[in-house]
Amino acid sequence: MDLLLPARSLRMLEGLRLAPRASHPGRIRGERLTRRAGLSIEFADYREYSEGDDLRHLDWNVLARLDSPVMRTYRDEEDLAVHLLLDDSPSMSFGDPTKAQVARELAAALGYTGLLGGDAVTPLRLGRRQPPPPVMRGRAAYGRFVSWLSREPGEEIPGPLSDSVRSFVASKARKGLAIVLSDGLDPEAPAAVRALVGRGHEVWFIQILSDLDLDPDLEGDLRLVDGEGGNAVDITANSHALRLYRENLARHNAALSEAARRGGGRYALFRAGDPIDAFIRDVLRREGWVK
Amino acid sequence: MSFARPDFLLLFLPLAAIIIALYLLRMRRKNFMVPATFLWPAKTEEIRANALFQRLKPSWLLFLQLLALTAIVAGFARPQFAQRGLAGETTVIVLDSSASMGATDVLPSRFSDAKALAREAIQAARPGDQIALIEAGPVPRVIFPLGNDAARQTSALDAIKGTDAEADVGEALRLASAVVANRDGARLVLLSDGDFEPIKDFSAGKAAVVYRKIGIGGTNIAIEALGVSDTTRGRQLYAGLKNYGGQPWETSLSLYADGKVVDSVRLKVAAHSTVGHTIAAPAGARLYEAKIDPQDVLKADDYAAISSDPTASLRVLMVGKPDPFLERALALDPRVTLDKAAELPPDGGSTYDVVVFDGVPAQPTASRGTLILGDAGTSNFVAASGVDKSPKFLRSETSPIMKGVDLNGVFIDNAQRVTASGDAEVIARSATGPLIIVQSKPNRRQLYVAFSPLESDFPLQVAFPIFIANALDFLGGTAGNGPLVVASGRPFATPAQKAASIQTPDGGKTDLAIVNGLATVRETRNVGNYTLTTDGKSRPVVATLRSPRESDVAPVAQLALGNRAVKSTQSPLRFADYWRPLAVLALLVLAGEWWLFARRS
Repeated sequence: MDLLLPARSLRMLEGLRLAPRASHPGRIRGERLTRRAGLSIEFADYREYSEGDDLRHLDWNVLARLDSPVMRTYRDEEDLAVHLLLDDSPSMSFGDPTKAQVARELAAALGYTGLLGGDAVTPLRLGRRQPPPPVMRGRAAYGRFVSWLSREPGEEIPGPLSDSVRSFVASKARKGLAIVLSDGLDPEAPAAVRALVGRGHEVWFIQILSDLDLDPDLEGDLRLVDGEGGNAVDITANSHALRLYRENLARHNAALSEAARRGGGRYALFRAGDPIDAFIRDVLRREGWVK
Repeated sequence: MSFARPDFLLLFLPLAAIIIALYLLRMRRKNFMVPATFLWPAKTEEIRANALFQRLKPSWLLFLQLLALTAIVAGFARPQFAQRGLAGETTVIVLDSSASMGATDVLPSRFSDAKALAREAIQAARPGDQIALIEAGPVPRVIFPLGNDAARQTSALDAIKGTDAEADVGEALRLASAVVANRDGARLVLLSDGDFEPIKDFSAGKAAVVYRKIGIGGTNIAIEALGVSDTTRGRQLYAGLKNYGGQPWETSLSLYADGKVVDSVRLKVAAHSTVGHTIAAPAGARLYEAKIDPQDVLKADDYAAISSDPTASLRVLMVGKPDPFLERALALDPRVTLDKAAELPPDGGSTYDVVVFDGVPAQPTASRGTLILGDAGTSNFVAASGVDKSPKFLRSETSPIMKGVDLNGVFIDNAQRVTASGDAEVIARSATGPLIIVQSKPNRRQLYVAFSPLESDFPLQVAFPIFIANALDFLGGTAGNGPLVVASGRPFATPAQKAASIQTPDGGKTDLAIVNGLATVRETRNVGNYTLTTDGKSRPVVATLRSPRESDVAPVAQLALGNRAVKSTQSPLRFADYWRPLAVLALLVLAGEWWLFARRS
């Protein structure tokens, strides 16, 4: 079976769990603490006793010393809904390796971590009509997860990222961690991120850009044809035009990052072709995306 | 302002139309697919064009290109501003330094006036103007070549001194024409009084000839003739004066014998007339001189001298086709007065000391010497029997004529096959027969050379002038050691082995170079007494001017140069070109356009 990632990379993720900045309500008991008081062994706080409380949680030591009944409360442990949203728009087919391929590898890494952490991992190809995605949990589900990632998409051509995200927002998807793997090359992308945040998701936006996106090596008089069917642009690819492009790209990326972070999420830029291991080590682990 | 090439202005419209059309063309761009286009600048100014039309948009590049085109086209059209001035962009100044330019009708002299004009022209030269200066003296010479160094040019100009000699202005103008070598817009400026021989065979090419007449004219009395002759009344000394002016003039005439005054009279000379004065010449004198003091405008012709030694002067008649090599070799002898003729005169050349037949059949002459070159004709001491092709020199006999003459290696194309008759003596021969034969009789000597100089490379050998000098000594008699009277400005050669020098009238001394036993004297450019010293022996040399052309000092208003007449111009128009600033402007604009283009590319 193709694991999408080398065993070495998977070993780097062993024992780690996705670390959302906020807790999200779960549906079933899981391995992840919530803010809600619950029955786990994770101590949360004290509160005064009230009639009807379970005496098993009465702190007898405090009662003996202070002669005051105090109840120990515990944090509940729930599963985390992890939505892996893969941008499948035409722009993701650029680069070598393609951004779509890199997105699948990153999704594999993050999905593997989520599965190991007992999270409810749901992969989704944005913009494609597909049967409701299966919710996967546990290490044993990694095979299915990889199989789903490796499956060829259909013939239909997805629309822009923002439209696909808005469709997802409109769905009844459970609130949780929405990890967007996309090049973000859609002028409405920041707005789409804000829509995700508004729906209650914590958005991790991993922007995957190729060399062509970051350092376009263009020269001469060109008609740039939009890979996603947008307007063609006539340019003279000179230093002036390239400088303007880089400024626009930096501004757009900053807007994406701002939208994700303001919503309590995270943002990272990944250059297609860079090693995944370095990303796991330098971004996911060092910046605390996984713990 | 005018344009030298206004036709170039017509190029502006089509060229500008082409440039504008390039801006009207819409680019045919190459399609290139990118992930997204929204990040690319929506409007990029087009700086290249290659396809269909679009609306013309304001563009700095277009403006700069049209500006550069304007400057270039205007530069090619050569805008000009008319100004007065002697010099143009390329100018060769020909400065006449002949004797007549020493006339003082304009003060201090015509020559000084001409130098002042040349100095003004040099100092008024613009950056980029090229000026050369040629002195039209007895032997024309380039004082400085085309250049633009006013300080050095002025210094060289100041160093030129006038002469008391006839000038070869024609050769000077030919030299000037060669200097400009068909340059466009070149100008030959002749600063002269026009008192020289009419110039034939001259073409200025593309250059314009500007003649600036120097002088206003004035009375000049010249000693036109001075001679001694033996008559029944004994030896007579004759002096003739001519008034070249338009009004009668009175002057004193003093005659000297070996430096002592022998007669002094006051003579009145009518306008354009000649007056003679004859006295009995003192016996035994070696040098006779004549001086006048007319207070006229030219001093150089107020003095004349003549030697009483009959060998001190030689009248030579050259019969045949022009032969510049032979003429030059004959002229090197200071005694020679050369005349040329196509045929022997009916009197057999009795008035000449030597007759030279060059390449034409020789005839009996009445002169005391005959030099036959190439064709024995009807001469009585040589019998011709055919032609030898490419004869090789074999040997020569010991003879004063062959002294210093080596015929080894001389190529001879054709030589007459001859035999010497009677008392004739063969002094040089080839493998097939005699090459040089001499005959010497009382009062008559003949020298025969079996080939014409022009049918050999003999004139190109150093032995040639030596041979001619030896031949003249043989035919005309060896010059004595008395005073040598020469025409001023005419170079001459004198035998010398070790050292030679000449002392000029002002006391200056010049060492002369000796080449193949001959020292050439070029220093007698002014009238006066010189001292020539060769191998320790000194000899007086008297340079005199006897030239009716120079003495007639009336300036000439119109010259005949080649086939056209050139009138004197007081101050010709000069069209100053302004294409250089336009070229600089075009370069600057193009540099700016390139910078702008590079900045956007």
